[in-house]
Amino acid sequence: MDNFWLVLAVMTCITFSCRYLFLSRTISFELNPRIKRVLSFTAPAVLTAMWMPIVFLGHTASDVAFFNSPFLYAGLFTVLLSLKMKNTLAVVFLGMSAFVIFRIIL
Amino acid sequence: MLNETDVVASSRTNDVSVMSGAVIDIMPLALATVPWGILCGSLAIKIGLTAIQAQLMSLLVFAGAAQLASITIMGATGAISSIFSSTFVISSRHLLYSAVFREHVRQLSFLSRICIAFFLTDEMFAVTCAYIEKHRVFSALYALSAGITFYVVWNLSTFAGIVAGQYIPNLESMGLEFAIAATFIAIVIPTIKDVSILISAVVSGFSVLLFSIYIPDYALIVATFCGMLAGYLNPMKEYDNG
Repeated sequence: MDNFWLVLAVMTCITFSCRYLFLSRTISFELNPRIKRVLSFTAPAVLTAMWMPIVFLGHTASDVAFFNSPFLYAGLFTVLLSLKMKNTLAVVFLGMSAFVIFRIIL
Repeated sequence: MLNETDVVASSRTNDVSVMSGAVIDIMPLALATVPWGILCGSLAIKIGLTAIQAQLMSLLVFAGAAQLASITIMGATGAISSIFSSTFVISSRHLLYSAVFREHVRQLSFLSRICIAFFLTDEMFAVTCAYIEKHRVFSALYALSAGITFYVVWNLSTFAGIVAGQYIPNLESMGLEFAIAATFIAIVIPTIKDVSILISAVVSGFSVLLFSIYIPDYALIVATFCGMLAGYLNPMKEYDNG
């Protein structure tokens, strides 16, 4: 990667600015409620947009068929678990275990 | 009546208990991201970064999802602009987190605010909000202890990935990326508390699959905007409490 140091510097600035912007005192305006409401959907939208392709398109990296994909079944299992359990580590651990098992049996 | 040394001593034990509480609260969430850190480290090596470059990403950028997205794009020799736009989209949720912390930290020193911002992650935000709800007060010490604990675990797991990636071939084809899916599912599903959030997640989730086919480099950013807009414009919002 020729431009690595540029990429690293710009990425560091972007991630830090997003975290710092509203903690700074020079930003004196208050967010209006509409913008706040739009922003409140950021986390669910972006996080879902990141896990859905892994679960539904994870099989495309190998030669596995869609209906034989361990990503698909372990993903759906993890969604069910997260509806039932509050403990994040337990959900992740059981989801990963399910993934390993599906990988072996499918 | 307490004399001065008693006050100092009691505030010191109090500080220690706040710090250990923070470490205990964030540890399960930190451990859940270990496979992901390992993946980030090993993938960075695989696409040709040096060990120091790979570790610096975790030390400076400190954003798992953005790091992974950028490594994937670099590996596919994608456009540099799509690295930056993905980083911004993925990080933009932190704008909301900092907006939430704003009222609590405005009185703190510049250095404290810089540190809180640097260590602000999904996980640190989640446990700090729980702390505020429980104790009715924001604690910078708590937030920083949780954030630094997470930082250490994240960097150690990246390091493990850098080392392991050199000895274990195909580490990245073992399905470690499923850990990311599992972590995000476990974080997102419990936050879906009303119809608007559900619509936002569903629209973003299904549109990203579609966009992945046609505009893979920009699928994440476009789908996220679609999801946010759908949640905001939800016609059924009169039934919501939020």
